[in-house]
Order: sequence, then C-alpha cells, then structure tokens
Amino acid sequence: MMPSPTTIRPRPLSPNLQIYRPQLTSVLSILNRITGMFLSACAVVLVVWLVAAAWGLQTYAPVQAAIASWIGRIVLFGATFAFFLHLCGGIRHLVWDTVHGFELRSIYISGWSVVAASVVLTIAAWVAGALMGG
Amino acid sequence: MDPQNMQDMRTPLARAIGLGSAKEGVGAWWAERVSAVALVPLTLWLAASIIAHTGSDYATFIVWLRTPLTAILMILLLIALFYHTALGLQVVIEDYVHSGAKFATVIVVRLGCCALATAGVVATLRIAFSG
Amino acid sequence: MIIKSSDQVPRATLLRRFPIPRNFGVAPESRIERGKAWPAPDGATRVKTFKIYRYDPGSGENPRLDTFGVDLDDCGPMVLDALIWIKNKVDSTLTFRRSCREGICGSCSMNIDGANWLACTRFISDLATPATIYPLANLRIIKDLVPDLTHLFAQYAAIEPWLKSKTAEPERERLQSAQERSKVDGYYECILCFCCTSGCPSHWWDGDRFFGPAVLLQAWRWLTDSRDEAKEERLDNLEDPFRLYRCHTILNCTRTCPKGLNPGKAIAEIKKKMIERRS
Repeated sequence: MMPSPTTIRPRPLSPNLQIYRPQLTSVLSILNRITGMFLSACAVVLVVWLVAAAWGLQTYAPVQAAIASWIGRIVLFGATFAFFLHLCGGIRHLVWDTVHGFELRSIYISGWSVVAASVVLTIAAWVAGALMGG
Repeated sequence: MDPQNMQDMRTPLARAIGLGSAKEGVGAWWAERVSAVALVPLTLWLAASIIAHTGSDYATFIVWLRTPLTAILMILLLIALFYHTALGLQVVIEDYVHSGAKFATVIVVRLGCCALATAGVVATLRIAFSG
Repeated sequence: MIIKSSDQVPRATLLRRFPIPRNFGVAPESRIERGKAWPAPDGATRVKTFKIYRYDPGSGENPRLDTFGVDLDDCGPMVLDALIWIKNKVDSTLTFRRSCREGICGSCSMNIDGANWLACTRFISDLATPATIYPLANLRIIKDLVPDLTHLFAQYAAIEPWLKSKTAEPERERLQSAQERSKVDGYYECILCFCCTSGCPSHWWDGDRFFGPAVLLQAWRWLTDSRDEAKEERLDNLEDPFRLYRCHTILNCTRTCPKGLNPGKAIAEIKKKMIERRS
C-alpha cells in the first residue's frame, strides 16, 4: 500500500486465534457449535428418510441401503457422538441459563462430565443397537 | 468499524453506539431455550426408537410409524427440531458473515427449515393415514 | 484438569495453540516476521528464554517476534520484572504499559503463554519454556505490547456507567442496606484491564457491535445497584442481538480474569433479567 497524504499504514492487529491457548471453556463451546451444525445436516437426512419411507419401498430401499453401508455406519457413529455431545452440552447451557454452576471449579467439573457422558452414552447406544440385532 | 479508514471520521463513542440498541432479542433467545427443552425428551425418544428398531424390515418400521403416538411425537420432534435449527443457524451466520450476503443466507436457511419441516410432517401424516 | 481459580496455570497442556498456521487469515500489515535474538549476559547461570511480540510504527516493517535471554538471578519473580529487566539491561525500546506493579491498576494486561493476564501478578516460574508474550488479542497495536483500547473504552462509555436517579437528591446518603450493598460485590472490583474482552472469541469476530464481557459486567454492576433508578433504560439499551446476545457463554472470560471475577455469570444475570421483565 503506497503511503500518501490520505492513506496511512494501518496498525497491525494482534494475533487472536493463532496464539490464544485452547481451554476447556472455548474448546467445548466450539464443539457444541460444530456438532450443532453437523446435526442440522443430519436433520435433513432425517426428512429424506421419512419422505422415502412415505413414498413406498422402492424409494425407501436405496436410502436404507446407504445408511446401512459401512460409510453410512461410520457417519451414523459420528452422528451419535455428535448428538450426545450436543445434548449434554445443551443441558449444561440450560443449567447456566438459570444462573447456576458459574464458579470456575463447577465449569470444569461439568465440562469434563459432558465429555465423559457423551462417550459413555455413545458406546451404550451402539452396544444396545448391536444387541438388538443390527 | 476500521478506525483507520479515513472515510470513517466518527468519534469512538459514535462508533461504539452504532445504530443504537434494537430493543429486542430476548424473543429469539427464549424460543431457542424452549425448543431445546422440548428437544431433550423428543430426541432421546427418537434415538431409543432407532436403536430398538435396528435390523427391522420396512413393514415393521411402517407399522411403528403408523401408531398415533409415534406420529404425534415425530411431528412434534420435526417442528421443535427445525425451529431450534433455524434459530441456531441464524446465530452462527450472524456471527461469521458480515457482508450483505448475511441477509440472503439467513432467509434461505429459515425458509429451507420451514420447507424441510413441512416435508417431514407431510411424510409422517402420509404414513399415519395410509393403509 | 479441574481449574479451581483463574490464577491456576494448567500443569499439563495437550495443545498450546490451535493447530493453524501462525499467520493464518492475517492481513498483510499484521503478519508476524522472524525477529532478533538477544542472548543472555555472560556468566548468567539461570536463564529463561522469552519470545516477545515487537512492533515499531516508525520503521515501516511488519511486527516480529524477538527472543530474549533473561538472567533470573538478576531479576524479580514476576513477568513484569522480566520485562523491566529487558528494558533496563538489553533493549530500552521495549514498550509496555505498567504502573502499580501489584495487580490493581490494570495497565500491564497482555497475553502470556497464550492466556490473557496481568504481567505483574504472573510468576516467571509458572511459564513454559520458552515463554511467549503477545499483546492483548485482537486489538490494533500502537507499539510493541501497547494495544489501542479506544474502542473498548468507548463501549464502556456507551453503557453510561454512573448512578442515575430520578428522585430528588437526598439530604444525606442514598440509603442502601448491607444486603443490597452485597449484590454489587464481585462486580465493582473490576479494574478494566480488558483481559476478558480480549480473550472472548465472540468479541474477536463481532467486537464492533458486541459489548464484550468487561463492559457487560459493568452494565450488571449498575443494574444490580439498588440506588440506581434507570434499570428500564439500561435494559433497553442492552437488549440487542449484538450488544448482549453475541454472548454464547463461551466462558473464556471467567477463565482468564486476573482478579477472579465472573463476567460470564454477570451476563447470565442480565439475560435472566431480560426474561423476568417480560414474564
């Protein structure tokens, strides 16, 4: 940028995301957002699945085959984990909205509990599914 | 906002005040929380149902969807889910998109969620009333 | 693993910074270049390496990261002592704000090892090796570690942080019970160091319109003060999808407050009042 009487060299902006330490607070928050966006895509899949089912076996079969394929199962596993993470994180947010659990110690305990609960619930869901005969 | 833009000669206070407060915003915040509370039991019900029906064939699945309780819960789930999704995605877009494209994207997302919810509800009703 | 108070430095770290390139998404004038290396003095046995962000507005160059070796036997225990030692003994052009050296004035707030804190209350022994010192995040830099806080103070002025009354002035004090006075505890102690606001990702992306945790904490300080009579206009002034509702309870603010205050909680209280006044 050529300096001139009307343009001055802008002051630099100090780095933000590039240097700020990832902490449980910010990491769980962005994960809640990422899982939310991923679940929005899953909502679209849910509607496609329902519409396919409503319009008979011929439309339903390919959709069901896609979900049952190995790549569909991987996505489904990811979706289950995303669902439980967003659910537990969402409940944590609802508790905060009642102005409870804001002490730093409570924030960290609830944060790690959300991670642990999501892992446990995902495994439990898939074990239950396997037992049901999938 | 860039104070280094020589075209923007507002005082810092004028820049901070901007166009003033919109005096509204609590409605969307509250709606997102109410739909979230509704979604906790509804999504858990959906997850449990999907797990319970692992390995079922098409006919069993249709019989399950045809029961009145299932149809009602599925419709409630679709409404709450797409309302929550529309609000959530609008917040995400407002956070990151600052150009004029913001308004267009928000409109597309909101209308898309309406359309998808309607499609889902109609499909559920079609199954519920068929046969 | 469990942080009990904000002055706790994590013992183990999985990730020092997000795995993105150092100059990712950065405008050309803000790109950080490799800087000079200033060795420790001869004969120094206990040496700590500091990497410090430098920017000289007069030179026409980009900001850079200089490396300094500090003799810990010749220097006080706090990060501010190390900065003063460098300014006295090595490079007198190193520029930073400082005043009280005891954590009450809020001048020396900066980003130390990735988290915002006051340099005068951070022990050198708590730092990583090498220690990294950047200015407060996402602010225009005047020189070295001195950010331009004009916009943040303008946002503070925009909430009108003074007692507003409509009834006539009393002959003596404005009455306030001990219990009413205790409602202001935890909020009046803010020293406006802006560590919280500078650490809030929502303020990074929307700081032109989002007020940020420091200003919102002060807004709550006036909302919860029983002597103030302008609650309605204060709440009207805040009820905006950007001014207040860009807060998504990320809680980096509460994690980083060097005075142990809780801006996240203050903002939650404001949001609760927003619901209460219409239900």
